[in-house]
Amino acid sequence: MSFMERSANVYATGIILGAVAFAVRLYKISNPDEVVFDEVHFGKFAAYYILREYYFDVHPPLAKLLLGAAGWFVGFDGQFDFENIGDSYTEHHVPYIGMRVLPAAFGSLTVPLAFAIMRECGYPTLVAAFSASLILFGKSLVHNGHVAQVRLILLDAALVFFMTLSLYSYIRFRKLRYWEFTFEWWAWMIATGVSLACTLGCKMVGLLTFATIGTAVLVDLWNLLDIRKGLSLEHVAKHFFARALGLIVIPFVVYLSFFWIHFKILIRSGTGDSFMSPAFQETLQNNEMLLNSQEIRYYDTVAIRHKDSKVYLHSHVERYPLRYDDGRISSQGQQVTGYPFNDTNNFWQIVPTKSLPPTGRGRIVRHKDVIQLLHVNTDSNLLTHDVASPLMPTNQEFTTWPANDTTRYDDTLFEVNILEAHDGEPWKTKSGQFRLVHVPTRVSMWTHSQPLPDWAFKQQEINGNKNAQDRTATWFVDEIVSDETGNDIRNRTGTVEDKPVKRLNFFRKFFELQMLMLQHNAGLTASHPYASGPINWPFLISGISFWTHNDTQRQIYMIGNIIGWWTCVMALSIYVGIIGADLLARRRGVYPIPDPLRNRLWNSTGLFFAAWAYHYFPFFLMSRQLFIHHYLPAHLASALLAGGVFNFIVSETINYPISVAGPSTRLRPKTHAELGLRSFIAVGVFVSALIAMFIFLSPLTYGTPGLDGNQVNRRRLLSTWTLHFAGK
Amino acid sequence: MAEESTRRRNVSSSSYGNSKKEEGFVYDDQSASQDDADGKGLSAKHAKFLPRGQQHVRPRRLPPPSTLTEFIQQNWEWIPPVIYTLLAAFTRYYQIGKSNVVVWDEAHFGKFGSHYLKRDFYFDVHPPLGKMLVGLAGLLSGYDGSFEFKSGEAYPSHVPYTAMRVILATFGVGMVPIGWFTAVELGFSQRACHLVTLMVLCDCAWATISRFILLDSMLLFFTFTTVFGLTKFHNQQWRSFSFEWWFWLAFTGVSIGCVDSVKWVGFFVTALVGLYTIEDLWEKFGDLQMPIRIYLRHWAARILCLIITPFMVYLASFKIHFLILNHSGPGDAQMSSLFQANLRGNDFSQNPLEVAYGSKITLKNMGWGGGLLHSHPHSYPTGSQQQQVTCYHYKDDNNHWLVMPRWDEKEYDPNGDLRFLQDGDTVRLIHASTGRNMHSHPLPAPITKLNNEVSCYGNATVGDHQDHWAVEVVDDLNMGSKDKVHRIHSLTTRLRLKHVAQGCYLRAANAILPQWGWKQVEVSCVKENNPRDAHTYWNVESHWNDRLPRGEVKLYRSPFFRDFWHLNVAMMTSNNALIPDPDKEDILASTPYQWPWLNVGLRMCGWGDQQIKYYLLGNPIVWWSGTASLLLSLVALGVYLLRMQRRYNDFEPGQWDHVLYVGKVALIGWFLHYFPFLAMGRVTYIHHYLPALWFSVLMTGHLLDHFIFKSKRLSERTKWTVFIFCALAVIETFLWFRGIVFGIEGPIQDYKGLLWRKSWNIY
Repeated sequence: MSFMERSANVYATGIILGAVAFAVRLYKISNPDEVVFDEVHFGKFAAYYILREYYFDVHPPLAKLLLGAAGWFVGFDGQFDFENIGDSYTEHHVPYIGMRVLPAAFGSLTVPLAFAIMRECGYPTLVAAFSASLILFGKSLVHNGHVAQVRLILLDAALVFFMTLSLYSYIRFRKLRYWEFTFEWWAWMIATGVSLACTLGCKMVGLLTFATIGTAVLVDLWNLLDIRKGLSLEHVAKHFFARALGLIVIPFVVYLSFFWIHFKILIRSGTGDSFMSPAFQETLQNNEMLLNSQEIRYYDTVAIRHKDSKVYLHSHVERYPLRYDDGRISSQGQQVTGYPFNDTNNFWQIVPTKSLPPTGRGRIVRHKDVIQLLHVNTDSNLLTHDVASPLMPTNQEFTTWPANDTTRYDDTLFEVNILEAHDGEPWKTKSGQFRLVHVPTRVSMWTHSQPLPDWAFKQQEINGNKNAQDRTATWFVDEIVSDETGNDIRNRTGTVEDKPVKRLNFFRKFFELQMLMLQHNAGLTASHPYASGPINWPFLISGISFWTHNDTQRQIYMIGNIIGWWTCVMALSIYVGIIGADLLARRRGVYPIPDPLRNRLWNSTGLFFAAWAYHYFPFFLMSRQLFIHHYLPAHLASALLAGGVFNFIVSETINYPISVAGPSTRLRPKTHAELGLRSFIAVGVFVSALIAMFIFLSPLTYGTPGLDGNQVNRRRLLSTWTLHFAGK
Repeated sequence: MAEESTRRRNVSSSSYGNSKKEEGFVYDDQSASQDDADGKGLSAKHAKFLPRGQQHVRPRRLPPPSTLTEFIQQNWEWIPPVIYTLLAAFTRYYQIGKSNVVVWDEAHFGKFGSHYLKRDFYFDVHPPLGKMLVGLAGLLSGYDGSFEFKSGEAYPSHVPYTAMRVILATFGVGMVPIGWFTAVELGFSQRACHLVTLMVLCDCAWATISRFILLDSMLLFFTFTTVFGLTKFHNQQWRSFSFEWWFWLAFTGVSIGCVDSVKWVGFFVTALVGLYTIEDLWEKFGDLQMPIRIYLRHWAARILCLIITPFMVYLASFKIHFLILNHSGPGDAQMSSLFQANLRGNDFSQNPLEVAYGSKITLKNMGWGGGLLHSHPHSYPTGSQQQQVTCYHYKDDNNHWLVMPRWDEKEYDPNGDLRFLQDGDTVRLIHASTGRNMHSHPLPAPITKLNNEVSCYGNATVGDHQDHWAVEVVDDLNMGSKDKVHRIHSLTTRLRLKHVAQGCYLRAANAILPQWGWKQVEVSCVKENNPRDAHTYWNVESHWNDRLPRGEVKLYRSPFFRDFWHLNVAMMTSNNALIPDPDKEDILASTPYQWPWLNVGLRMCGWGDQQIKYYLLGNPIVWWSGTASLLLSLVALGVYLLRMQRRYNDFEPGQWDHVLYVGKVALIGWFLHYFPFLAMGRVTYIHHYLPALWFSVLMTGHLLDHFIFKSKRLSERTKWTVFIFCALAVIETFLWFRGIVFGIEGPIQDYKGLLWRKSWNIY
C-alpha cells in the first residue's frame, strides 16, 4: 500500500481539494458588486420568495427556493428588482455576497464529492485527485467554466452538485450489492432517489440524470434476472419493486414536495399571474381576477381585451380602403381594429339572440350563448364574412354592419366559447377567458402584432382565424362599463368586496404549472448572440459574456479552462477507441484486456461515459436556445471519465475488489493499483499547467483586474471567443 | 401453466462452467456459430430456415405442359401474384380520368414534368428522377408541355392527363406483386403472404396517391423494390458470390439509387440497408473460419454495389437532368452565373464585358446555394428598422444595383468620361428600384447576431460614409490570379465587398429570414476576414450599360460536379426553409404524432358539391393494425428476452434468428421512416407516413404469422377463421371507403358513415 493510499492521506487529499475549491470560488466573490447575466432572473425569483409574490419560470423551484432561503437568511428584504445587468448591489444595500456564497458552496463541494466518487470506484488517490482537479480548475464549475458559473447567483451549481451526489450515492449503493436489503443498502438507494429528485428540482435536465441512473439500474436488474445467478423470480421481483420504490416513487414525492412548498410560500399575486389559468389565479391573494371578476348580463356594455397583446376590441367610423397595396379588394366596411388605450370606441353592448326573462339570473350570459356585439358609438353590429383581411389573405375580415339593417343578421352572430367551461357556466369579467366564434363560418376573432398601414392609424389588425382553436385567439372582458339602465353596476352584486381566496387542489396546480413549464421551455427559441450549438461545447469554441464594465475594461466571460476541457475530449475519444478496439479484438477471438481491468473499464468508466452521453446528446434534438453552460453536467462526467482513462493508460493494475464483501461472497485476492513515479510526475506537471492556465484566464473569471486590448488579445486563445475590449 | 412447465429449460451445467466468459448476452448457446458442436456455421443455419421456394432447389426440369391444368400446376406459385396484379390494376386504373382538373400536387409535379418537355431549367427541392419520369410519361402520351398546371384548373383537351396518370399509376400497380414476393422472401406462410398483399392492395391511401401525377407512387415503388432486393439478397447469403447473390446485391443498389433520386425520403430505406449490411459484416467479422481475403471481398462487393452504384444512379439522374434542361427557365437564379450563361435563351454572354461606374448590375453570391443580392421596400422589424437587404433566388427587378462613386467624389455624370471599375475602388451601390444606398452599421444582424446588419438607407442625396464598399478582387476565371485583373469583368471575376468604415465583408450564408423577410436568405457583414470563405465571394451576373459595347464573352463550361453539388446544397437549403409558419395556418399539414393513429386525412381538392372529391386517408384497419402490431412487437420482444434470460427455450435452433431478422427489418424500417419526421423542423403532411406504413404492414404480417399461422398449437380451423376474418375486414373497409379513392361525385353528405373519427374533415 503506497503512501498516497493510506486512509489518513486520502482524507487529507480530499480536504485539501475541498479547501482549494472553496478558496478559488470564494476569492473576490464580492466582485463585481453588480448584477451579472442571469442573476437578472434568478436574483429576482429569490426576491419573490421573500415577498411571497407568485412568479412563473420554466425551471422547477428547488434551486430558487434555496437561493431565496439564502437571501432570507442573510437578511435580504426582497426590495431590489435585479432589473438590468450592471445594476449596482451596494447602492441598493443588497446582501448579495451571502446569496452568492450558496452556489459557490455547492460548486466547491462538488470537487471533494467527485474525488470521493473516484475513490469509491476504486481508483487510486492520484487518479481521483486528477479528476477532481479537472473540475476544480475546470473550470466549468466555477468561473473559468466551472468557476464562473457557480460563483454567481445561478442554478447550475446546485444542479451539478445534486447530479454528482446522485452518482456518488448510486455508486455507494451499488457497492453494497452483496448486502441486499440491509439498512445501509436501503439508505444509499433512497439517498440516490432523493438526490435525483433534487437534481430534477433544479432543472429539467435532471431527467437526463434519471436516465443515466435508470440505465445502470436496468442493466443491474437484467443481470440479476439471469438464471445463472440462481435467484428466484420472486427474489428478482423484490429487487425490482425495491428500486421502483426508492428510485421512482420516493423521488416523485420529493419532487412534488418542492412544488408544495413553492405554492405554500407564494400566496400573493405577482408577475406570474397572467401565465396561469383563471382558476389558478383566483387562489392568489390580491389577484385582480379574484377582486374584480363578476358575472356579465345581457345589455351590459363592456370593453373586451385580447389576452396576449392586451389590445382592446375597437372600431371607428373610418372604413377599409377599397383596394389594398397588393391589389386585393376589401368590403369597404367600417374598420375593426385592436387599440391599446382606453377609449369610448372600445365599448360594445351585448345583445341577446333569444328572449330573456325580465329579471333574475336568466339574464346572465353563459358559455356557448350566441350573441351580437353592438358598437355603441356607431350603432352597428360586429360582423365577419368571407372577405380576406387586409394583411392576411387566409383570414377573414372583421367589420360592422348598421344595427337597423337586418339583411346580414346571420353574419353578426357570435358564439361565446369560454375556455375550460362546463355547460351553462356564467361569463365573467377578467376570469372568463373566451373565444368569440363566428356562427356561420366558424372562424375565431383573432389579432396579431402586425400593425395596419396609416389608413388605420397603425392600429392592430383584427381578423377571423380559421383555426378556431388557436391558443392566441383568447380574449377577456376587461370591465363592465354600464348595464342596461346605466346604474352603477358595482352595486349589482353584494359580494364584490372581500372575496375569500379560493382553494385549488394541489395536484391540479402542480400539473398546470408543470405543463406550462414544459411548453414555455420548448418555446424558448429566440436567437441570442451567445447561444451556441452542442457541437461547439466540448471543444470550448465559444463562451458567454456575463458582465462588462467599460470604464475599467473589466469583464466576466464564461469559458472553460481550455487545457482541462480538451483533456476531457481527448479522454472521451481515447475511451471510445479502447472500447471499439476491444470489441473488434474479441470478435476475432483475441482477449487483449485482463478481465478485472476490462470490467472496470466497462462498468465504472462506462457509467461515466453513459452519464456524459446522456447529458450531452439529447441537446442535439432540442430546438430551444442552448448555451455552453448546458454542458456543465456532461463536463463533470467527462472529467470523471478522464480519470478512468488516465488510470487505464498509466497502469495495468487496479484496486480490486471494491464492493463490500457479503457474508457469502467468495473472497478474492485483493489487488492494489500500482502507479509508477512517472504518473505522479505526469499528474504534477498537468495540474501545474492547469493552474497556470487558470491563473492566466482568471481576469476573465473574476472580472478583475481590467485588461487592456493587448492583454485581452493574448487571452483570446481561440479566434471564436468574443471577448470585449479586444485590441485592434 | 402446464404448457409452460413442459418446455425445456436448458440450464445446462456447461453454461455455468462457462461463466468466466459470460457477458450477459443471451443468444450464446443458441446462435453463436463458433460454438456449434457440429461446426456447420452460418450457411447451415441459413439453409435450414430458407423460405418456401428456396428450400428445395427446383427439382429436375419438367416436360413442357401439355394441358392447361398441367400448366397451372407447374406454375402454381405464379398464380396469386398475377391475380393480385390484375386486381391492383383495377384499383389503380378504375375511372382514373374521372376528375378532369389539376388535383392537389399535380400542380407542382405536372408543371415540373412540362419543364422537361419544354427543356426550361427549373428548381425544386426534390431530386430529378421522379419528375423526369413524369416528363417521360408526358412524352409517351403525346403531351407538348404547354399547360401551366394551375391548381384546380380543368385540363384542356390537348393535355392527355389520363394517359399520364395511367403511366404513373403503373408504379402503384407494381407495389402489389412486389409486396407479395417480399412476403414470400421473408418466409411468411401462404396465409400471411395473402394478407400482406391484400393490405397493400386495399390500403386507400396507397391506392389514392398512386392515381395522380405525383412522385409518391414512384417513391413507394422503389422503396418496395429496395426492401424486396434486401430480402432476396438475404436469402442468397448462404451461397456468397454466386450469380444470384451478385444480382440481388446489385439490384438492391440500383433500387437505392432510384429511390434516393426520387425523393430524399429514400435515404431512410437506404439507412435500413446500411444497418443490415453493418450487422451482416459484423457477423462475418466474428466468423473466424472465414479467410481475410474472402472477408475483404465481402466488403468490396458491398462498397461497389451499395455505395458506388446508388451514387452513380443518383449522379446519372442529375446528369440527364442537366442535359435535358438546357434552356433558360424559372430556376436559373439558383445556379451559378456560369451555369446560367450556358443555358440557351440566356443573354449573359451579351453583357458588356467590363463594369464601369453608372452600370446597372446584379450581384451573385458564389457560396453553395447562393442567390442574388436583393432589396425590397420592407423594413427590418429589429435592429435599425431600415430597409431589408437579402439574397433572393429568382430574377426580379429588385435585384438591380447601380455602381456609383463615393460621396466625397464628384457625382456620376452620364455624359462624362467612362470610368471603369477596378480592384480596390470604393463605391456606393444604389438599389435601382428604391434609390437607396446599401449600408451597414454596427448593429447585430437579425439571425447571425455576431455580424453587422446590412440595410438600405438614404437616397441619392442623403447618406454617409457607412454606404461605402471597397471592391476587392479575388481572381478571374478568365484572366487568372488577382494581379492580372485590372478591370472587373462580368461573370468571371470573383470579388469581395468590404465595408470601409467597419472593415467587415458582405456575406450571405444559408441563414433564412423569418416570414417578415419572406423566407429569403439573410445578408450580413462579417467582421472576421476569412479570405477563403466562398460565402463572401460575389460575381457580377447581369450587366447593363448603354454606353458600353456588347461583349462576346467566351463561355466557360461550368463543371458538372460543381453544378451537381451546388444544386444539392440549394435543395437542402430550400428544404430546411420549409418550416411551419406560426403565423400562418396550414390546414393540410399534420404532425407525425397523428399519423400512426390515423387522426387526420387530407382533402386533395376543392370540396364543392360539383367537384369530384378525393380524400387522402388510409384504410383504418390497415393503419391501426399496423400500429398495434408495432407496439405488440415491442412487448413480445421484451417478453422473449426476459424468458431467454431465464433460459426458457421458446424457439427451435435458428428460428429465433429468423423471427428476429424479420422483426428487425420491419421495426427498424418503420423507425427510420418515422422518427426523422419528429426531429425535422419542416412542415409535414400525412403522405410522409406512406413509406413507413409498408413496414408496419410487414410487422402485422409477421406477428400474425408468428403467433397464429405458424403456431403449432392452433388448429387449421382457427387459422382459417382468423385469416378469413382479417382478409374480410381489410377488403370490406376498402370497399366502404372506395368513394374517396375513386372520387366522390355530388354532395359529400350523401355518403354516410365515413366519419369514423371526429378529427377527419371529410364532411
